Amino acid sequence: MTSGGAVYHEVSVARVCGLLLVMCFLALVPVQQGIDQALNAQTRSDENLYIPSGTILRRLSLGHEGLLADIYWTRVVQYFGRKRLDRATQFKLLGPLLQITTDLDPQLIIAYRFGAIFLAEKAPGGAGQPQEALQLLRRGIAANPDHWRLWQDLGFIYYWDLKDYASAARVFQAGANRPGAGVWMKALAATVAARGGEIQTSRLLWSEIYRQADNDSIRRSALDHLLALQAQEELEQLDRLLRQYRQREGHPAHGFRELVTAGFLAALPRDPSGAPYRVLSDGRAALAPTSKVDLALLQ
Amino acid sequence: MRRIASIAWHTFKESVREKVLYNLIVFALLLIGAAILFGSISVGIEGIILVNLGLSAISVFGLLMAIFIGIGLVSKEIERQSIYSILSKPVRRAEFILGKYFGLLLTLVINTAVMTAGFYAALFYQKRTLAVADLIVLQAVYFILLQFALVIGLALLFSCLTTPVLSAVFTFCVYVIGNFLANIRWFGQETGSALIEKATMVLYYLLPNFGDFNVITLVAHGQRVPGYLLLSNSLYALLYVTILISAAILIFEKREFR
Repeated sequence: MTSGGAVYHEVSVARVCGLLLVMCFLALVPVQQGIDQALNAQTRSDENLYIPSGTILRRLSLGHEGLLADIYWTRVVQYFGRKRLDRATQFKLLGPLLQITTDLDPQLIIAYRFGAIFLAEKAPGGAGQPQEALQLLRRGIAANPDHWRLWQDLGFIYYWDLKDYASAARVFQAGANRPGAGVWMKALAATVAARGGEIQTSRLLWSEIYRQADNDSIRRSALDHLLALQAQEELEQLDRLLRQYRQREGHPAHGFRELVTAGFLAALPRDPSGAPYRVLSDGRAALAPTSKVDLALLQ
Repeated sequence: MRRIASIAWHTFKESVREKVLYNLIVFALLLIGAAILFGSISVGIEGIILVNLGLSAISVFGLLMAIFIGIGLVSKEIERQSIYSILSKPVRRAEFILGKYFGLLLTLVINTAVMTAGFYAALFYQKRTLAVADLIVLQAVYFILLQFALVIGLALLFSCLTTPVLSAVFTFCVYVIGNFLANIRWFGQETGSALIEKATMVLYYLLPNFGDFNVITLVAHGQRVPGYLLLSNSLYALLYVTILISAAILIFEKREFR
């Protein structure tokens, strides 16, 4: 049987402890925020790899190199994502991180495929290092010779980033001979060899990527490129019409309404994102500032 | 107050009788000594390796001591049934918990002092001299001690709740998660989901943030820890230890011994 004094003591201790708990938690939040501020002021950009060798990491992983490769791949994605958000132009660790990831797990196909895209794309969208992307994919092909999609990616980098259409055609052809390769690869190889650099070829390439993409970000990127290609083609057509209008009327058009009135166009032209095209002061057709089409993708 | 001091002293005497304590100290001192060898096969970073490895050894082995001794603080007394004779004396349960906490903290402070002395001996052996600038390392040692204060509080809390094995597992898990809290919060922000962001933010403030105390790399490069950070981390540790001890007392007050 508990005495009244003991019960009173127990209740008062519980109250004091409960009160302390709540008050301390409330006080912790501003203290932690203060520490965060102080630490942020201290933190410099940490562009170092403490263990730069995948071979050493593989030994240190004690048989868990697959898990370590997954962790490093996640680190690649986070590093790339953060750099893109910061609109950085330097991606110092991207290549070494990808090297470590693929050293740890040479069968991690996604690291080669996405890694090559991250490396090849021009800044600020990517690292702008197509040669490094080629090396990564060649390592991937050496480790996974029957994975025909690595050949497709390799050919794509030759075509799109290096404008080396002969090498692109050769690589597409080599990829087409791999087991399970899509039949369209052969057609692609022939088209690139015959008409490399033409908008129609680029559209064929991006259409295939869009059609076969098993990832939303790749599909989105392919769609953006297709829209940019369409806009570029339309801008070229509009420029031709503007020149014809000037020749016929003897003065340049200040807007597309004049072309509609003169019968050159049936309606005011709009770009693939739905924004109206405009005429610049030098008489050339251009995208509206509100347009969602990014022609820089085609640079 | 005298009763708390008495329990603390008794806990300290009991802790220093633990064989595991001496094993861990010997391992820590060996590792600190080995840092000299590691440094000698490297180029240009001999001093940095000694500080990094030495302080990491103090931190890791101190952590092991805090966990392995901390988890038995209450459960051992229950197991040996000595808790009945202690609580039959005019000792309040809150005083018992506080005494246990401060007893183990004293043990850890003295052990850390021994390991720090070993570290400075290794530094002297390497440099053949010691300068005032070398005292900067003590700032990191102080932060390591603050971590120990939190870990002891966690171990004590779990010791009041569950078995020694589970206490060790829980304490270790909270320690590991506490080192990744900044990443967890960042992950929450990156997901773009308001729910996950809020959940990770709550975790960030709810769990002890051990990452705040990681200044070993900073002092290894001879950089001073800002005074504001010393103060705010001390306050943070004090508040969090108060929370842990209050929770431990609350649980221990409700506990029935048969």
